[in-house]
Amino acid sequence: MTAAHIDRVNTVLGPIAPEELGFVAIHEHIGYGMPGSELDTQWWKTPEQRYEETVPKLRTFHENTLPWGGATFVDATGICNGRDIDYYQSLSAKTGVHIVASTGFVGGDTALAFFERASVDYLYRQFVHEITVGIGRTGGKAGIIKVGVSRGFKMKELDLRIYRAAARAALETGVPIFTHLAVDAEPAVEIFAEEGLPLHRVLFGHADDGVSQGKVRDRWIAEQGGRIGFDTFGYDLELPDPPFWGRPRQERLEHFLGYLRDGLTDSVLASADANCSPLGWPGVKGHTINYLFDTLFPALRDNGVDDATINRIFVELPADFLTLQPQN
Amino acid sequence: MTATTVNTVLGPVSGAELGIVAVRETLLSVLPGAQYGYDIDIDRARVFRAIAEKLNAFRAAGGGTVVDAGGMFAGRDVPLYEAVSRATGVHIVASSGQMEEGMLGGYFLTPQTNPPTPWPTAKFAALYAAEVTEGMVVPRVERRGAAGLISTATTPDGMTATDESQLRGCARAALDTGVALALRAGNDPMAELAVAVEEQLAADRVAVSNVGESAADIAAAGAFVVFTDVHAAVAFAYDGNATRTLLATGGAALTFGHEAAPASYAGLIEAVPAELRHQLLVANPAALLAAKEA
Repeated sequence: MTAAHIDRVNTVLGPIAPEELGFVAIHEHIGYGMPGSELDTQWWKTPEQRYEETVPKLRTFHENTLPWGGATFVDATGICNGRDIDYYQSLSAKTGVHIVASTGFVGGDTALAFFERASVDYLYRQFVHEITVGIGRTGGKAGIIKVGVSRGFKMKELDLRIYRAAARAALETGVPIFTHLAVDAEPAVEIFAEEGLPLHRVLFGHADDGVSQGKVRDRWIAEQGGRIGFDTFGYDLELPDPPFWGRPRQERLEHFLGYLRDGLTDSVLASADANCSPLGWPGVKGHTINYLFDTLFPALRDNGVDDATINRIFVELPADFLTLQPQN
Repeated sequence: MTATTVNTVLGPVSGAELGIVAVRETLLSVLPGAQYGYDIDIDRARVFRAIAEKLNAFRAAGGGTVVDAGGMFAGRDVPLYEAVSRATGVHIVASSGQMEEGMLGGYFLTPQTNPPTPWPTAKFAALYAAEVTEGMVVPRVERRGAAGLISTATTPDGMTATDESQLRGCARAALDTGVALALRAGNDPMAELAVAVEEQLAADRVAVSNVGESAADIAAAGAFVVFTDVHAAVAFAYDGNATRTLLATGGAALTFGHEAAPASYAGLIEAVPAELRHQLLVANPAALLAAKEA
């Protein structure tokens, strides 16, 4: 290993060694809102409220992760969705939780007009800049690239443009790609193949959500080498007011356990996709990142999943995935 | 607000105090999303100075008021407009509303509902009316000042269903609050004006730009026609339409993320024949902008 190539993960407070990540919640949000929601005062919260809703959840997360050492929160909020890097920097500095931020877009339908008109090359340069130079004037660098499928379960032209730009930026900078939704994956797999990006650098997210079932070919994606995101744990239909993407708790768990039973542990990553303090929507009452510790882990242990497997999914695999791996 | 006042960013003023008005302008024009572009540096000091220089020149040429008709999501910066208005002595009227469908954020087009139905008229109406009655939003921070105009546009290729929903909402907000509506037409100005009128907004509360060949029809319907070509405006005014004619530069003081001609507000004054100046640059804008009892 040369001095120029030291394994590192970009967090909002600077690069850290993968060994420092500890427990990783791979797909979460400090606060997510659709672009334009900032214009509607019905969702506004004072800074006091935002910290008050967020800090205790991060503190509890930190306490829950103590057995693993570090605590890492990957924020999968894209450009234009209320991504707020200097706020994340403050949260990370004050709570001790590592926060990894995104460049990219949750989907073409969250990219505003300026980016909707942008070429693949411009989008690629946007992503590379945010990964290697920083986001806005914050100095914080993105550690992942978010891409996704627009509403309607079918890739749109702008989605494809973003995927291609992301593939090029991922190859050059070594950050991994996260997809919002794992539906209509064939065009995505084709683009990544054309660009030469190995599929183990891509997490096909939300493969476990309720609305995707029957539309997602997750085993096929895994066979191609892609990683499968069981990252909406906790959006259970058993909640008092579940979201439309919710799913029966046991059904999601069985879906996940199927991978572990079939020896496909290394194909999965898992998280809760919770908002600490949602922007532009009410959020889902009762759902936080800490569902992983309060509900998921007891359920996994009840089903005979050992600590080594949990460690594999929440520590080793994400550390490998988040480590910058430039291909050139 | 009374029947003759106009909302400026520094508070209501009498319509008679507006003086010479540049009536459908854009001060700071940011293509939505450009503020996040990695190579776009919106230097507020530079923005302030660029706008102030144009407003100072306008004032020196006899100008009194500039109307920023860019709406709430294309660069509008209320605190900056307040400061530049104080510094230059030029009244600034800022607008609510948003432009055509392609300029809207996903919050309005694909909300987090199943299915993701675009916003209905009533929600657009409430969002924009509140900017007049409660103050304009500085996103997620505060409300400041009252909007003095509702401004919208329709897609150049033709009004979409969302454009129509938004246009109706803008017309209702104008009707409910008494401020005027600025509409940048798409490809059928008369049909688009008719949408606003169907919402019970009087045609004389609407200023339509980008009218193409429809100028005479728009004026005959009672609305104002906004020209960006001085010669066309003057000819139209002399053709019996002087009370329906408005003039704009068609440019912007400063743009980010897209190109627009640099605006010269002082140039507007010089370009209009002296005998038409009062009608086109004072009386007509005051008639449009003076709020009607809601």
